[in-house]
Amino acid sequence: MRKTNKLIVVMFIMTIAFIVTSCKQSGSNSGALNNSAAERVFVAPGEYDEFYAFVSGGFSGQLAVHGLPSGRLFKIIPVFSVDGEKAYGFNEETKPMLETSYGFIPWGDAHHPDLSQTNGVIDGRWCFINENNTPRIARIDLTTFETVEIIEIPNSAGNHSSPYVTDNTEYVVAGTRFAVPVPQRDMSIDQYKGNFKGAMTFVKVDPENGSMSLEFQILMPGFDYDKAHPGRGKSHGWFFFTTYNVEEANSLLEVNASQRDKDFIAAINWKKAEEYMKAGKFKTMPVRYAHNVYEDATHSATSTMKKTVRVLDPSVLPGLVYFLPTPKSPHGCDVDPTGEYIVASGKLSANVTAHSFTKMLKAIEDKAFDGEAYGIPILSFEAVNAGSVVQPGLGPLHTEFDGKGYAYTTFFISSEVVKWKLGTWEVIDRKPTYYSVGHLMIPGGNSQKPFGKYLLAMNKITKDRYLPTGPEVCQSAQLYDITGEKMELLLDFPTMGEPHYAAGIPADLIKANSKKFFKLEENNHPYATKSEAATKVVRKGRDVHIYMTMIRSHFAPDNIEGVKVGDRVYFHVTNLEQDYDVPHGIAMIGANTSELLIMPGQTETLVWQPTKPGVWPFYCTDFCSALHQEMQGYVRVSPRNSNIKLSWSLDGE
Amino acid sequence: MKKSQILMIIGSLLLLPLFVLPLWNITLEAPQYPTPLGIDIYITKMAGHNEGDIQNINILNHYVGMAKLPEKMKEFEFFPIIVIAMVVLGLIIGFIGKKRLFLAWFILMSVLGSIGMYDFYLWEYDYGHNLNPKAAIKFPGTAYQPPLIGTKKILSFTAHSYPSSGGYLLFLGMFLTLSAYYVAVKEEETG
Amino acid sequence: MKSRIVFLISLAFLLSACGPADQQPGSSANFTKNTPKGQASVVDDESAKNILQIAASSPDHTTLVAAVQAAEIEHVLVNTGPLTVFAPNNDAFAALPAGTVETLLKPENKQKLAFILTNHAAPGTYKGRLLKDGRKIYMATGEYIPIRRDGDDIYIGDAKILATIDASNGVIHVIDKILLPTEK
Repeated sequence: MRKTNKLIVVMFIMTIAFIVTSCKQSGSNSGALNNSAAERVFVAPGEYDEFYAFVSGGFSGQLAVHGLPSGRLFKIIPVFSVDGEKAYGFNEETKPMLETSYGFIPWGDAHHPDLSQTNGVIDGRWCFINENNTPRIARIDLTTFETVEIIEIPNSAGNHSSPYVTDNTEYVVAGTRFAVPVPQRDMSIDQYKGNFKGAMTFVKVDPENGSMSLEFQILMPGFDYDKAHPGRGKSHGWFFFTTYNVEEANSLLEVNASQRDKDFIAAINWKKAEEYMKAGKFKTMPVRYAHNVYEDATHSATSTMKKTVRVLDPSVLPGLVYFLPTPKSPHGCDVDPTGEYIVASGKLSANVTAHSFTKMLKAIEDKAFDGEAYGIPILSFEAVNAGSVVQPGLGPLHTEFDGKGYAYTTFFISSEVVKWKLGTWEVIDRKPTYYSVGHLMIPGGNSQKPFGKYLLAMNKITKDRYLPTGPEVCQSAQLYDITGEKMELLLDFPTMGEPHYAAGIPADLIKANSKKFFKLEENNHPYATKSEAATKVVRKGRDVHIYMTMIRSHFAPDNIEGVKVGDRVYFHVTNLEQDYDVPHGIAMIGANTSELLIMPGQTETLVWQPTKPGVWPFYCTDFCSALHQEMQGYVRVSPRNSNIKLSWSLDGE
Repeated sequence: MKKSQILMIIGSLLLLPLFVLPLWNITLEAPQYPTPLGIDIYITKMAGHNEGDIQNINILNHYVGMAKLPEKMKEFEFFPIIVIAMVVLGLIIGFIGKKRLFLAWFILMSVLGSIGMYDFYLWEYDYGHNLNPKAAIKFPGTAYQPPLIGTKKILSFTAHSYPSSGGYLLFLGMFLTLSAYYVAVKEEETG
Repeated sequence: MKSRIVFLISLAFLLSACGPADQQPGSSANFTKNTPKGQASVVDDESAKNILQIAASSPDHTTLVAAVQAAEIEHVLVNTGPLTVFAPNNDAFAALPAGTVETLLKPENKQKLAFILTNHAAPGTYKGRLLKDGRKIYMATGEYIPIRRDGDDIYIGDAKILATIDASNGVIHVIDKILLPTEK
């Protein structure tokens, strides 16, 4: 009897064990295929996202950092627009970043973030992004997530086909969207045709420190150069630009630039350009452009005005540029991970066109030309075309790749993402977007090595998708799982500004390198104060320089007297903290500028011009510590003719 | 040279790493410090386990009125002298090879070590109890003394106080000198 | 005996606990339920009317609207555009050979119907003087259809423009014939 009892118990336990394990298995099996979207985008509190997504802010001029798959927003990196939160463009240190040949410009239109690469694989060192309005390219350091360099592009207007990084970050480019007189001059607009030019600028990137320099420009015919993509792998050494308005219309382009059956993709052989440069086949042109560099060592930026650019003329330099006829105002220009296919989305075309790099080389060799434009050979469409995706949707814009032989194209008018197969051109799947999708992004999806797990579609219009916020509503991004044959919509989240393009990267390639604070001993700011003992106030004529420090939870000094109406008071404030995530802020009543938000080990400068006698407080703006509310101080301002002597103190000392 | 002599010599040489490796470590854990704060105590100095730790501990401690961690202590002057003296003495004893001297060295080292620990306790007591009366935050009756050895909860922090790499080598060295004595006893019995 | 009952109860519990876990709410298919017709699902009676809304309110275009719905391309006609839509009236559909419309409205002909309808939409706003004699209008299907002016009358292909209505996202030209795409 006892024995049977034991047997039953044993069987019972075994059965439960079996059921539990089998249940778990079936659960995890269906998990991979069929578990809920919520589960797949849920990143538990305290856990990290798998990918970073750098999403352009469009007309906000900035760059947003989100996590994927959660869509959570981590940071907005100020790039081309001033930012009162971070004092970008407001403090003395970063004002030079926004200098241009037109003077200080507080706003920009940020379009296409793209990440540095090594051997065709994104490496997580820098993010580049172009400014469309006043042509510029910025570089963001991904250890500090700060803009560290901005280079202006001369002879260009509407810097849209930019920046797009080559396989080893040799170059980023800047193709002009609006052809302009080169050099700029007073002339009749209807003299456009044949007289305006499109400058294609190649900006060299230093492989060690990322520093950008304007290497050369190719002066192209006056078309509109829309998007660009460097060759990958086998096509490394080439750069492809889509064009529209080969009609060279200068008014009502919506009609007049849509007349031709085909526009072009311009294929530029930049290796050949390098040869021509070496052989001295360039002309040096006088121009003016700003080159702004921020140094972590001094926590300050400098702006240098450069004076010349070296220009190549493709009409007299054979082999430098070829035109590939491409249907109907192509917008997106995307090269697949192998470098073989150049995919063009004719935004008015019913089809998506793919050219073959191999066929292009052969067509060049065979001289399969179909005329020329301004001395540049036009290759025969039939000789270069690899195939077309027929009638996949309406208004194709951009294509990214998953590295498994599939391409994903967005369709603006029919509001959808379409998955199709490279080589066979068959449509595999289509999913709606909400609404009117522009760009899309697969992490690494424009490189040789895509991380094809998620696809982020960025929508121009949301209408009723979110709680309304007056006439201006948010734009959005939508996340799709692309691991299966069919795409699956997982998440819908609002974005900052208009997201034109984004760059995604596995978090592991960046996370470990992220800086925690700046070392105080390495601070070479000319006004750095490295200890409370070194704090002082110095008068130089009407300029008063306060060498101030901040640490939990006080400023040193925090009582200052002897400032007079009409003085320019410089608060040079150093954060003495050497701890992660302990910034301090400072704001001065009545200062015509933003607060400062100073990272540990950093020095920043706020300028205040007191206009009235009195005793004026300043305080810490970042809730730094338990005694943050106590972190405050006073400046006594006396009339101009007063003889109060300059003095400063902390705790009466 | 006999095995016991070699053990004695190696044992006393194992004190030398104390000049580069920390003797002791105090680590403070709290939720807002994903990387804990740590003080490494060397025979010549106190240093942050990670950069900035000393300053960060001082900043936290000043709210409750604790003194700054000392940069100079008289111990940091005579600890190196004692260690060098014990190494030299250990080497001489090792070359002489008398087993009783082995034991004597071990006992002397143990006594010195105990005095060191007592001294450490006195400093910790003072550090944790001698609070600035002007402190911003006061918890009447609360002392902030870290444990001599072991783990203790101090406000929101969990403090761990344990020997560090240099300390463990010191103990290993002492163990070797003690075993040198027993090996020497055996060598005499068999020899 | 007791243990056996416990065993059975536990087994039943485990099996039932196991089952529903596979069916979780929030599968991505649900997300499209709110907006089955994409942007066409947006409810907005205040803004200027878009092409679809105008067509839907016209008694002369009931066949066209029915066709658009059958082809499920409503969202295209509410897109921000700009679009020029050549909208055949009911008579134009009626002029087709008998049974044509009925056949096209069948679900299996959805693609074909969509293609025919798409041949009536052109990206861009073509109206007034932009409808120049001889100008070829590029349709969303990739076909070119020429404009012809005859006195005050304007034709697209063989179809005559009867009326022109501005829409928030482009323009509608009411026409009297269907613009059939060339057979491929």
